[in-house]
Amino acid sequence: MSDIPTSRASAIGADLSAPLRGERRALHPDDPVLFPGVTIGSMTDRICAIALRERAFIWWWVAFVPCSALSLLLVISILYLFYAGIGIWGVDWPVMWGFAILSYVWWIAIASGGTIISALFFLVRAEWRTSINRVADSMMLFGAAAAGVYPILHLGRPWFAYWLFFYPNTMTLWAQFRSPLLWDFWALYTYVLASVLFWYLGLVPDLASVRDRATSRAKQVIYGFFALGFRGSRRQWKHLQATYAIMAAIMAPVVVSIHSVVGLDFAGGATVGWHSTEFPPFFVFGALLSGFAIVLLLVIPLRRLLRLEDMITGRHFDVLCKLLLTSSLFLAYGYLMDVFTTYYGGDRAERVMFTERLFGYYWTVYWGTILFNVALPQLMWFRRLRMNQIVVAAVCLGVVVGMWLERYEIVVTSLHRPHLPSSWGVYHGTFWDWSTLLGTVGMFLSGILLAVRYVPIIAMHEMRSLIGRSEARAAAAGRGP
Amino acid sequence: MWRGLEEAAADPAFLERAAAEFPGLAATMAEPCDRRQMLRLMAAAFAMGGLGGCDPGQPSGSLIPAVRIPPNIIPGIPNFYATAHVLDGYASGTVVKHDMGRPIKVDGNPNHPAGLGAADVFAQAEVLDFYDPDRAAQITAHGEPSDRQSLETALAAQRIALAGKHGAGLRILTGTVTSPTLAAQLDALLRQYPEARWHQWEPISRDAVLRGATAAYGRPVDVIAHLDRADIVLAIDSDLLSTTPGHLRYARDFASRRNPSRTPRMSRVYAIEPTPTLIGSVADHRFIAGPGELHQAVTALAAGILHGAADGSAPDWVGAVVADLKTAHGRALVHVGSDQPAALHMLALAMNEALGARGITFDLIEPVAHEPVDHAASLRALIAAMQAGQVSSLLILDSNPAFTTPATWGFTKALERVPFSLALAGREDETAMATTWFVPMVHAWESWSDARAYDGTATILQPQALPLYGGISAHEILGLYMGATPVEDEQAVKATWQDRLGGNVANGWADALANGVIPGTASPQTDLGLRSAAGRTTRTEASGGALSVLFRPDPSLWDGRFANNPWLQELPRPLTKLVWDNPLLVAPALAARMQLKSGDHVRLSIGTASVVAPVWIMPGQAPDCITALLGSGRRAVGAVGDGSGIDYYPLTGLDGAVVMHRERGREELASTVHHHLLLETPPEILRHGTLAEYTANPRFAANEHREPHIYRTLPPGPAAWAMSVDLNACIGCNACVIACQAENNIAVVGKQQVLREREMQWLRIDRYFEGTADAPESFFQPVLCMHCEQAPCEIVCPVGATVHDSEGLNVMIYNRCIGTRFCSNNCPYKVRRFNFYGYGYEQRRPAVSWNPDVTVRGRGVMEKCTYCIQRIAEARIVADRESRPVGEVRTACQTACPTQAFTFGNLADPQSAVSKRKRSPLDFAMLEAQNTQPRTTYEALVRNPNPAIKAGRA
Repeated sequence: MSDIPTSRASAIGADLSAPLRGERRALHPDDPVLFPGVTIGSMTDRICAIALRERAFIWWWVAFVPCSALSLLLVISILYLFYAGIGIWGVDWPVMWGFAILSYVWWIAIASGGTIISALFFLVRAEWRTSINRVADSMMLFGAAAAGVYPILHLGRPWFAYWLFFYPNTMTLWAQFRSPLLWDFWALYTYVLASVLFWYLGLVPDLASVRDRATSRAKQVIYGFFALGFRGSRRQWKHLQATYAIMAAIMAPVVVSIHSVVGLDFAGGATVGWHSTEFPPFFVFGALLSGFAIVLLLVIPLRRLLRLEDMITGRHFDVLCKLLLTSSLFLAYGYLMDVFTTYYGGDRAERVMFTERLFGYYWTVYWGTILFNVALPQLMWFRRLRMNQIVVAAVCLGVVVGMWLERYEIVVTSLHRPHLPSSWGVYHGTFWDWSTLLGTVGMFLSGILLAVRYVPIIAMHEMRSLIGRSEARAAAAGRGP
Repeated sequence: MWRGLEEAAADPAFLERAAAEFPGLAATMAEPCDRRQMLRLMAAAFAMGGLGGCDPGQPSGSLIPAVRIPPNIIPGIPNFYATAHVLDGYASGTVVKHDMGRPIKVDGNPNHPAGLGAADVFAQAEVLDFYDPDRAAQITAHGEPSDRQSLETALAAQRIALAGKHGAGLRILTGTVTSPTLAAQLDALLRQYPEARWHQWEPISRDAVLRGATAAYGRPVDVIAHLDRADIVLAIDSDLLSTTPGHLRYARDFASRRNPSRTPRMSRVYAIEPTPTLIGSVADHRFIAGPGELHQAVTALAAGILHGAADGSAPDWVGAVVADLKTAHGRALVHVGSDQPAALHMLALAMNEALGARGITFDLIEPVAHEPVDHAASLRALIAAMQAGQVSSLLILDSNPAFTTPATWGFTKALERVPFSLALAGREDETAMATTWFVPMVHAWESWSDARAYDGTATILQPQALPLYGGISAHEILGLYMGATPVEDEQAVKATWQDRLGGNVANGWADALANGVIPGTASPQTDLGLRSAAGRTTRTEASGGALSVLFRPDPSLWDGRFANNPWLQELPRPLTKLVWDNPLLVAPALAARMQLKSGDHVRLSIGTASVVAPVWIMPGQAPDCITALLGSGRRAVGAVGDGSGIDYYPLTGLDGAVVMHRERGREELASTVHHHLLLETPPEILRHGTLAEYTANPRFAANEHREPHIYRTLPPGPAAWAMSVDLNACIGCNACVIACQAENNIAVVGKQQVLREREMQWLRIDRYFEGTADAPESFFQPVLCMHCEQAPCEIVCPVGATVHDSEGLNVMIYNRCIGTRFCSNNCPYKVRRFNFYGYGYEQRRPAVSWNPDVTVRGRGVMEKCTYCIQRIAEARIVADRESRPVGEVRTACQTACPTQAFTFGNLADPQSAVSKRKRSPLDFAMLEAQNTQPRTTYEALVRNPNPAIKAGRA
């Protein structure tokens, strides 16, 4: 990346009164990653212009108002929860874990999916990653934030959550190392911290670009503050790139570990339906699937609304949809093994529970999972459908719902049929369960919208490198042998 | 395997509940409020006046807080005082535990013949009744507050008026009276007012028992059974183990013959019954028969036993049962429940005599009750007199006829014609609201009295505390009817007994109080001969297909008097596991015919009266019978019981045709097990077999393999606490559940929370069915914390709030718990309970009523059975002080259990009772394959069916 111009090279005070817009383009699987005509300067101007707009788009307000209202609902739900206790939720005697855990797992999968795109595909130098990297990163950040609230809310006595930390205390008590919940707590907060750093690190040069184009003193100061004095010197680039690469190399295993540990939360228990060695990889497959689905769901509207059609192309859709399909097949394998081990294993309680899962009270949950996570993604085998944004959006939305149902199935259906029939029971989320879930959705989307509004939504410095390479390639091709 | 009845029918209503996945916003928001309303904190006004101290030896007077603590009260050391719990006149001995002078726990009195140390649910729940904030404190006259002065003035006027006409117009209504003191007072009163009349009424009628015995022997006698001597028991709709006076003792005797590894000869029990009873549920054969069929079957049995005649029309099994009974001549017993007509009681007595059982498996004794009468006739005579205007003054002593009499008898209406009526009762109930005067009665723990047990043994009821709310005792009020000089309870009781306490009255009195029984007071046996007419059998035509209704006392609320007791309301009924509700119990076949699901509303009409109530499908119920449990639907009992459940008394005492038809609507009924009416008993959970299997291989139920463990580390402590539960002994009576609740300060959560599966009892009795829904075999299994040596709960707690102690206890550290609830998820036995709300702080009971040795758990904390760790700690302290190894510890459940199903102790001592029980060939661990190495194990259930009979076996 050292050969690309620094942000200083771009025109300061670019004319933002008529923001540059890309052309409208249809999707085609043979699209390049980047259409010719996107230049380093025009790209930087366009992306900075979005962040520096005086007034937000109308659609932005239309989306942001309900999302922030939902965030407010989250605040109310949390306050009432702390006041009244977790009795306001639907958790009961056999089903001691409910929405809090299953939504936590769901969110952490979404966040992990984002990390996989931004870190794993960075390490393998996938070009298509560049233009959706920031979206994936933001998804990771706000997904992790949404996930991060749950473990504390879940507790019967949340004010003692700090007991999970190892800290010197007069009681000379440590946390209990053998509990998967402890591993999970540590894995989660390692992950949240790492993802914030990773997101921010990638953002620093772009903030500097925005700072340099700032239209007002206030913006200059604010962006300047967060740009950490990044001026694009060779030294700074060197440090930044080294750190970013190291962080990416850390993030890739961390994301696998976080979701494996989430899987161990269940696999580590002797509970019927949980005690399965396949859970850690199975959970990672789930994270992949939901990550690709959410990225697609975010990219589809942003590409249109922000006129990024020349930077997010049919190529991106093609790759993401294929990955979605692949991870769906991974997951299908997991489901299949779940059935196989249960019935091959022959444990009575496991069989009773699984039969109940297939045909009992919660049959809709199981078959909904199969429909949304396995059956519908099979549409992605077809090129034409991969290029159909409505179909892709529908499939992705299905996956998002399906992944939630899968967690519902793992958490609730497993717990509602324990060994002893006397403790069998059912579970329903209450209003407060749903309000908390919707609240975190609102919080996530509000975060994404704020990022879209104030943060360069495409990683400009990486983009510039990509454009540079493309131009070099084009020039080489033009010269011909 | 098929699951719930509801699902088996694949009905739409069950699927409807899937639609409830998103319960209404309003309902959810309102729910915590409802719950709080139910368990509203007690009024601040209830400020513990009079609770400061208690010394039964002191005469009542003004209460001054002790500057020096009284000599017999040591903080932290409980005191125990013997007394008795009296239900329908019959006493069962209790010992009340006091902490700093406050009664906190009731146990059975080991010296008392009726329980031998066991206590039933009513006796144990008396603690909450005693502290009930809804108890009456105010004398009222014509609905207006009044005072003792006015009462005494009014009674003086009554005395003058009555004296002039020899007491004509005075009527007294009581329940069954066994108290010698009260009986003497009543006799004296009737001597003083010869024209006065005394009536008796108990809503749970034993009239048929009395009439049957009278018909058989010519005059009233009581029958007491000796189940420990009976090889064959024929229980005909029997209440031997559930409600009959002496049932605790019978349960003990019954259990002594049920475990083949300890008894040389196991008994065999046949039950014939229309609705499941406790003895039917544990019987070896259970024949289901509606009232008509039952009458026919008993007639056929009697014909076989008395006349040797076979009845061709009788069911096949009758011959085999007759043969079995005859073979066991002299060691057989026939028992008929109090709900069956007098003719059957007479037949049963004749059969017992013919089987040579007299003096062996049953005894005839002089009646325990004072002047036993037919209660229905007695009360109807009173009502007739009231209607005729012959009653000018009515005294009702602790009876509630306005609620418990059939509506058609018109008691309340007749009461309006009585110019002076006075109700003495513990709470301002339905009757108290209809009488002209209401006088609060002191609780049995606040005054002196006496009562007799089922065998006549007398106990002195000594006060346990000074009156919380004031009030007057029955002895006092009778005294006020007879003269102006107040009667002191203590003096009255002493006067009764001073001639009968032997040479040294003071010592005799002290011994009687200390032991809780007065020696030599058992009723003498009679040598009356059976009248020849008793064996005459009458053939009745079975009323084919017509519905009938069986009115039975609620297993937890009795006739309704305990309806304000939250422990009892929330006590899962033995067979239905219902709480806070009393739907009509219907047979699966009847429900199928009428397309009813549990919870559907029906209108049940008898003649002109009708009640709309939900139904509950009861496996093992006779198809033409509907069981209605009395005692719910109280209108004036207190904040807990008012309006809870359905009142079926309006349907009692009617002769018309029984009609049931479907009504619109349904409701959720709170049962702790209603999600899974299994008809299978998985062998890894509950093991059972027959005596034949046991004889062939005594270890038929033992765990398959117990291999050494790689990682197993034995706790190093000096003791290894463990428990063995004998499934052969468990009769599902719930005594242990209440004992645990009382001992361990377990919260009541209310119906709404039970519906949401958040009940808190640490000890539950799981009930399993096997066979068909129409005639299942049933099983009880008490489940409490298994104290696994390899406890799955411990490794998953991230903060180490549940850990193993050095003596093998799986201990729960409430202070350390942050409420992740992983431990509960990981517990294969699901014995952990979680405080979803701050239940402990919302209990409707004063702080002084809690057990001070046990923490009251806060919101967000997990809790579970501790093996009564506070008792273990106490034993450790005692052992340390005396420099000896820790000795015997008895858990609360073990102490309360009438059948001694629980054995607890130190496994490290090979001579301890629990070590011996664990060496039983029947010993097995629940869910052994989980490899949790539980310290609680079970002795497998063995039944002793008659190989010649296939019927009545699932």
